Amino acid sequence: MSTATVNVGDALPPFAIDSVSPDAMREWSVFLADPNPIHLDVEVVKAKGLGDKRINQGPINVAYMMNMLMAAFPGCRIEAMDSKFLDNVYEGDRVVASGTVTAVEGNRVSCEFTLDVDGRGTVNAGTATILI
Amino acid sequence: MDDLPPAPDVAGTSLDGTDVFTISAEENAALCRSTGVEPAADGSAHPIYYYIATQVAMGKTVAGVCETCEFDVEDGPMMGSSGVKFEGHLKVGEDYKVTGEILSLVRKKSRKLGVMDVLTYRLRLHPAAGGDAVAETDNVWVLPRKELAA
Repeated sequence: MSTATVNVGDALPPFAIDSVSPDAMREWSVFLADPNPIHLDVEVVKAKGLGDKRINQGPINVAYMMNMLMAAFPGCRIEAMDSKFLDNVYEGDRVVASGTVTAVEGNRVSCEFTLDVDGRGTVNAGTATILI
Repeated sequence: MDDLPPAPDVAGTSLDGTDVFTISAEENAALCRSTGVEPAADGSAHPIYYYIATQVAMGKTVAGVCETCEFDVEDGPMMGSSGVKFEGHLKVGEDYKVTGEILSLVRKKSRKLGVMDVLTYRLRLHPAAGGDAVAETDNVWVLPRKELAA
């Protein structure tokens, strides 16, 4: 999209992950230097009463939403972004990040977005401003 | 709330780091692919490194931040929200350092979680060589206080 073609109310193309991968969680435990076992060991998740699937690290969910924004505006730079964590994402979940343009001022585009899990609804939501 | 002890007074605690964090091309590529995209060809790193770099190179570990708040990391801190402002792209191969501080720790009661402390902290990512921050993030964690449940 370019500023000439961006309008308030435009839907941003969704970005989907068909099945959240426990292998990625293992990689991210290294990236984040945080070996919290709820991301690595199903038995720990069960023991803590948090379900029966490994839980995706929160920042991965933010990365999915960033991917959606960057794909919608190739070559853009995210200027600011806020997101709230509303629920967990689990291994095997299908997640879809999507958004809508809420304002356009010069080369600055404001958006609101969500991350939704098939069958469970919105698990993350927020706003961003993008320089395009 | 009057019957609850106050949350520990931790506002102002420094989270300045001493380690240098470098975004390697190899790790950036692996990270991008783990989220379903290819790394950028222009040398910019995935912007989620705002979170990773600040967490890894701040002056305390996650467990250490929890300990400062008199909270056992094994009790399960939860991310509440994360906000970031960027002054530019984060760069592969660039060295960064972190400054920051705890902004607040507020004790609350919630129907869903019972008693909890809401921790807000701010971290800034600077070029290690010096200069203004290229990113500033405010993160909010929820620390459930099971021991204070009614």
